[in-house]
Amino acid sequence: MNAPYLQASGIEVSFGGLRALQDCGFTVDQGRITCLVGPNGAGKTTIFNVITGFLRPDSGSVSFRGKSLDGLKPQAIVDAGIARTFQNLRLFVDLTALDNVVVALPSQAGEEPVGAIFRPLHVAATQKRKRQEAMEILAHVGLEARAKDFVRNLSYGEQKLLTVARVLATGAELLLLDEPASGLSAGALDAVMALLRRLQADGKTLLVVEHNTRVVQQIADDVLFLHQGHLMAQGAPAEIISDPALAEIYFGGAI
Amino acid sequence: MDFLFSYIALAEIYVLLSLSTNLLVGIAGIFSVSQAAVFGVGAYIVAWFLMNNVLGFVPAFLIAAAGCVVLNILLTLPALRVSGDYFVVTSFGIQLLATAVFTNWTTGTGGANGLPGIPPPDLFGKALESTGQIVTLCSAAMVLSCVAFWLVMRAPFGRMLRAIREDELAVAAAGKNVLRAKVSAAALAGAFAGIAGGLYATFLSFVDPTSFDLDASILMLTMVVVGGARTLTGSIIGPFLLLALPQILTLIEIPTTIAAAARQLLYGVLLIAFMLFRPQGLAGEKL
Repeated sequence: MNAPYLQASGIEVSFGGLRALQDCGFTVDQGRITCLVGPNGAGKTTIFNVITGFLRPDSGSVSFRGKSLDGLKPQAIVDAGIARTFQNLRLFVDLTALDNVVVALPSQAGEEPVGAIFRPLHVAATQKRKRQEAMEILAHVGLEARAKDFVRNLSYGEQKLLTVARVLATGAELLLLDEPASGLSAGALDAVMALLRRLQADGKTLLVVEHNTRVVQQIADDVLFLHQGHLMAQGAPAEIISDPALAEIYFGGAI
Repeated sequence: MDFLFSYIALAEIYVLLSLSTNLLVGIAGIFSVSQAAVFGVGAYIVAWFLMNNVLGFVPAFLIAAAGCVVLNILLTLPALRVSGDYFVVTSFGIQLLATAVFTNWTTGTGGANGLPGIPPPDLFGKALESTGQIVTLCSAAMVLSCVAFWLVMRAPFGRMLRAIREDELAVAAAGKNVLRAKVSAAALAGAFAGIAGGLYATFLSFVDPTSFDLDASILMLTMVVVGGARTLTGSIIGPFLLLALPQILTLIEIPTTIAAAARQLLYGVLLIAFMLFRPQGLAGEKL
């Protein structure tokens, strides 16, 4: 039997007395859009931090394509093919939209001073290609017209698209998107959902934190329901959303 | 003429120091206030080799530059562990420690009396004795360093440093080696400061600890702020302007006893005024 595409098992994370993740385990299948849902504080962002190497779990392990990611630094995990966005965007606001994407393109000549000083022509030539590559990525997310604009002049929806462009630039095949649709107007929301489906069609696998049940229903192939740092349920979106016990947890006792 | 040449040579040396400070503080966001210490080590290394007739100018100069590369990496290492505010304090301590060593290690640095009579630089067996020749040497060093700075800034390395200054976590998430980039920035800044030190020692033929104290570090920061952070133009304008000011002050009738204090006062006022009213300096970006 093939090893699961992404597998987390027995993840435990505590922040002081708070147990953010407790025996958290799940698998993600290749080529699908998996939505990670759950109430605030369920540990959704924490599990992202564990998978991408920003947080070392107290115990448990993560493997990708059958290879363990345990103990790897964020850089090595991106090299392995997993990259993420952040809920609070973390864009480089003093750089242009294009430069935000170029920064994330892998292995560029002139990323260290010796090459930059002694091989300027080589650097300039590769930079031209890299800028072209970045333009294509911007076009793919629908931001090619804003390439030269500084991030601070982009709308919130455009900034969200730019975070997706930046994560695409890393060349990763598994994209972890932290609330790509939150806080967006209806129009921008449709643009993001269409983009996620395009990425899936391109062969990417997506693991998406999402609160909006409408979005989950429309884009998810699988849903992981996290509660108090533990996987409560896994299944098709319709099943999860119609489960009264889960709705009770998600929306509180009011319903 | 000699007076003008001296001003130009000194300003050119300070351009190198501004590039060093700009790279570290302005671009990489590593707020170091100990660049004068590195500058001093470069100057003392060259002075020592030349005065003891151990090596010629070129090898001594290269050793000083290499030594300052290593030194600046070591001094910047705490910045990789502690964040912004804490590093300023660490760096402040390093600067005070360096001044104490420069002042008290009399066998190596001549202590507070300094090292007088440093031989002039020699190139290919020929001593550069006239001020004109030294200006040419300093100009060449400045131009080469400015070109290096310009190339680095337009390369992916420069862009990555700017990104790191804004959000190093996001740079790491993009799969980049943040640590290596910071160490490289420190190395390059160290090279600039070491080269400046070597030129300074041979140009003045005298070094003493007052040139490498906290005031000197703050002067470099002032040059970057007034000239403008993160641009090459800013690092050139700053030194030429700030070193011209004391000359202008001499035109006003003030007693020589307070001239030095008046200069410090002016630099302080300029630093505060620019931070408050024009943080992007004359030709730069906001620090």
